[in-house]
Amino acid sequence: MSHEEKLFPFDRGRRRPDPAKVAEFAATARKLQQEREGAAGIATRLLGSTPFAEWPRLAQREELRNSGALDELSREVAARVDRVPLESLAIAELSTTIADSLAADSYPVVVLAQIRAQAWKDRGLSLCYLARYSEALDAFDRAEGYLRPFGTLAHDRAIVRLARATTLQEANRFDESIALLQECTKIFEDHGDTRRQLLCANAEGALLHRMKRFREACDAYLALLPMAEKINDRTLLASIHNNIGQSSTEIGDFKTAEAHVNQAIAIFTELGQPLRIAASELARGRMFVRRGEIERGINHLHAVREQYLRQNLVEEAGLCGLEIVEAQLARGASIEAEAFAWQIVREFTAAQLNVRAITALGYLSEAIAARKASAATVQNVRHFIRSLRKRPDAEFVATA
Amino acid sequence: MTVLSNPLQDDQQFEVVYAGYFDLLVQIAVHKFRVPDSEAETLAHDVLISYLRKSHDVVALRPWLIGAICHASRHYWRLNGRTIAAEEELALDRADPASMRILDSLPDQLAAREALECLNPRCREILHMRYFEGCTVIEIAERLGVKPKYAQKLIARCLRRAETLYGDKGKLQ
Repeated sequence: MSHEEKLFPFDRGRRRPDPAKVAEFAATARKLQQEREGAAGIATRLLGSTPFAEWPRLAQREELRNSGALDELSREVAARVDRVPLESLAIAELSTTIADSLAADSYPVVVLAQIRAQAWKDRGLSLCYLARYSEALDAFDRAEGYLRPFGTLAHDRAIVRLARATTLQEANRFDESIALLQECTKIFEDHGDTRRQLLCANAEGALLHRMKRFREACDAYLALLPMAEKINDRTLLASIHNNIGQSSTEIGDFKTAEAHVNQAIAIFTELGQPLRIAASELARGRMFVRRGEIERGINHLHAVREQYLRQNLVEEAGLCGLEIVEAQLARGASIEAEAFAWQIVREFTAAQLNVRAITALGYLSEAIAARKASAATVQNVRHFIRSLRKRPDAEFVATA
Repeated sequence: MTVLSNPLQDDQQFEVVYAGYFDLLVQIAVHKFRVPDSEAETLAHDVLISYLRKSHDVVALRPWLIGAICHASRHYWRLNGRTIAAEEELALDRADPASMRILDSLPDQLAAREALECLNPRCREILHMRYFEGCTVIEIAERLGVKPKYAQKLIARCLRRAETLYGDKGKLQ
C-alpha cells in the first residue's frame, strides 16, 4: 500500500455530499417547515370546536395528518396533562392514531420514527399522570420500538427514557428509574442539551426524597437552581423550588421550606398550572402542620382538597385528606379525624376506586374509633394507597 | 466551516447547514469510530435529517450534531458486531475540542504532510501513528511505552505544535 493510500485523516476537502441526499434533506426541511407554519393554531381550534366525545374522529381530518399538526397536538397534551389529564390522554390517543396511520413514504423513515415515537411518548406520559403505569410503560415500549433501528435517534430515545424513568419513579421502581436517569443524563450532556440534563438531575433529587434521603435531596436541588435560572425554564425552576420546599420541611428547615414553596407557587401561578399549584399548596399545608401551626395547616389542606375534588381527582383529594386526618390526630381530635376518614371512604366508594384502598381506609376509620390509631397508622394507609398504583392487587397489612 | 447556532430560519439555510456539517460528521464517524465510509455518510445524512424535527428545540447545533453522530457510530458497531471499546478507551479516544479545531484547520493531505515535516521526530512519529496508521491512543501508548493518558496528552501537544509551526511557516511564505 502506498503512502498516499494509507493516508486517510486529512482528506477533508474531498468528501462531497451526494446531491440526491442534499436534495432529500432540503425537501424534507421545507416540507416540515411549511407544515409547521400551516398547522399554527389548528389543533387548538379543532379541539375547541369539537365535543370531547368526538375527538377520536378528528384523526380523519386531513389538516391534522402531518408533522406540524402532530407537534401542535403534542403541545396540547403537555399543556393539559397537569390540569385535565383525561383530555390530555384523549389528545395523545388521537396523535398515536394519526401518527401510526401516516403513509410509510410520507417522510424519510428517520423522521417518521421520530413522529410516531413522540406521539407514543406523549401517550405514556398522559397515562402516567392518570396513574395507569403499566399502560404507560407499554406506550413507552412502543415509542422505543420505533426508535430502536436508528442509532441516530439517541436523543429521541433519551427523551422517551426520561419519561419512562419518571413513570418508574411514580410506580416506586426506584432502582430502575435511577439507572435510566443516569443513562439519559449522559446522552443529554453529549448532545449539549442542558435543559434536559437538569430535568434528569431534578428527577434524581426526587428519587432521593422518596428514598427518605432528604438532606441529600435538598442539597441536590439547591445545586440545580443557578443553572435553572440561567436557562430560564420557568416550569423547571418552579418545580425545583417546590422540591426544595418539600425536602426542607422533612429536615425541619421551615424557613427555607417556606421561602422556596412560596416561590414555586408564585411561578406556577404565573404559568397557570393549577394542579401544580395545588401540589405546592399541599406542601405548604404540610409545612404548617409540621412546624406546629396545626389549625392553619388543616384549613390550608382543606382548601387544597377542594381543588382536587373540583378536578375530579378523588384519589389525590383522599391522600390530601389523610394529611388532615394525621394533623387532627396530632392535636388529639380523634372524633373529627374519624369522621373525616369515613368521609374519604365514602368518596372512594362513590368514585369506584380500588376496593383495597377502601378496605385500608375503613381499617383506619375503625382504628381511630377504637383510639388505636396514630400518625404512623395514617402514614401506612397513605403509603398503601400510593403503592396500589404500582401493584393494584396488593393486600393491605395493618400496623399499629 | 459554517457554524449556525440558531434554529433554521429559512429555506436557503438548509443546504448551507448540510454542506457545512456533513463533512465534519462523516469525519467523526470514520476517524473516531472507524465506521466505513459509505456507512458514515448514511449516518451523517440521518443525523442531519433527524435534526430537522428538532430545530426549534436544539439550542446549540454543533454539539447536538456531534453528540448524535457519536451515538450513531457506537450504535452502528453494536449492530455490526464489533466489541465496543471500554468507556475508558472511548474517553481517551474522544477528541478534545481543541484537536477538532486543529483538524478543521488542516484541510488536505498536503497540509498534513507539510505540518508533519515541521515537527521533531518524536511528534512526527506520534502523529503518524495516530493519523496515518490509524492507531488508537492505547496502541500508541503501548508502542511508546507510556500510559494511555500521557499518550493522549502527547498527541494533543503535537497537534498544537503542528498547528503553530505550520501556521508560522505559512506566515513566512
